[in-house]
Amino acid sequence: MSIDIIKKILLLTILVLAQVLVLNNIHLLGCATPLLYVYLVLRINRFCPQWANLLWGFVIGLCVDIFSNTPGLAAASMTLMSLLQPYVLNIFVAHDNQDDLKPSFRTLGPVKYISYTSILVFIFCITFFTLETFNFFNWLQWIYNIVGSTIITVLLVLVVENVRRD
Amino acid sequence: MRNLLAFLAKYNHWFVFILLEVICFVLLFRFNNFQGSVYFSSANAVAGKVYEYNSSVTTFFNMSQSNKKLSERNLILEQQVRALTQYIATHHGDSLAMEQCQKQALAGFKLIPAKVIQSTINREDNLITIDKGKADGIHEDMGVACGTGVVGVVYMASDHYSIVLPVINVNSNISVMIRKRGYFGFLHWKGTPSDIAYVDDVPRHARFALGDYVVTNGYSSIFPPGIMVGKILHVFNSSDGLSYRVQLRLSTDFGKLRHVCVIDNSALKDKALLLKAAQDSLKPRDTSKK
Repeated sequence: MSIDIIKKILLLTILVLAQVLVLNNIHLLGCATPLLYVYLVLRINRFCPQWANLLWGFVIGLCVDIFSNTPGLAAASMTLMSLLQPYVLNIFVAHDNQDDLKPSFRTLGPVKYISYTSILVFIFCITFFTLETFNFFNWLQWIYNIVGSTIITVLLVLVVENVRRD
Repeated sequence: MRNLLAFLAKYNHWFVFILLEVICFVLLFRFNNFQGSVYFSSANAVAGKVYEYNSSVTTFFNMSQSNKKLSERNLILEQQVRALTQYIATHHGDSLAMEQCQKQALAGFKLIPAKVIQSTINREDNLITIDKGKADGIHEDMGVACGTGVVGVVYMASDHYSIVLPVINVNSNISVMIRKRGYFGFLHWKGTPSDIAYVDDVPRHARFALGDYVVTNGYSSIFPPGIMVGKILHVFNSSDGLSYRVQLRLSTDFGKLRHVCVIDNSALKDKALLLKAAQDSLKPRDTSKK
């Protein structure tokens, strides 16, 4: 159990550092920024207690926020995403399946995992960029940001998932 | 009662969710006018340290030491050149007295060199983190400049790091004037690209040419007069048609910003205090009128 927690915190540190030092500086075509830290919420077990789920999402978001000077922005989006995560996961799991599975390529299968990831990342990007452009509304840029970031984030999550599988 | 407890136990995650979202939104909406939130920004000790290490790796390739000195020296020289050219342009009366006057104006400012450890240029709310803080004599509302021109204003300071609100932030508002013509306006930035800004409220009777330089005017207590801002590219009418909006190319390249100087304006503190005292004394009269 404690090994599991240490592993989680280690992964959190690595992903947050990767995000703030490298990925935040990437703006492909002026719109697509990879937001890899969502991967931490995508990996949450199916029967993890929901309050823990929410707190976890909030803490990840706050860590990223503190580094990128956007207090509350990623935290709000991550909290919403971790609230919806179990419901979205349940769509892709058979009803008679009672295992406490961890969503991944292996347990869900490629098609289901990709759809699961895309839906959650898309929801996250919508909230994130809506809150970010709150007082400066340029709807075309907003759509570009959402679509671009969703695509690049999903791709990156799939790459990381593929590497970790072995 | 039992039912209520059962209800709360069953749906506890919704309450956690609402609580957390409320915290997020408080942070989100109060950050911009809440000076105490320095711990939730990159000016706190841990985040600052991480960015400092990161920046020390990146500046290693830039000969950081010599760059710092050059940029500081450059700023002083540029300021002197500008002061002198203006002095020559407006040469009237007792030259000795005027020279002394100008020397005094420059002597009032102390420059604190600092290093940029984190910055963004492609958001609407761009902020810059520098590696000097209250322990080095930096306080809120000090001006920040670099060798090529104006950078921004210190927005919040922790003990060892500070956050600068640069010119390329939609909330930035700096008082500037057109060099040698004397007309002044307010410098604003409207989002990307990061090298184009606008001067609003330039009067309609102002005469100036494309290619003229825009500099700080020194009316506020933040910047000394004559720090370079940019070059005029284009002139538009303002939306209400009562003034000009001047488009200019900023002389500072925010993408390459490494070494900056914070301008210690303690000499101008008294002036600011006097102004504030005057404003305060006027306030009660205004309210009594209404």
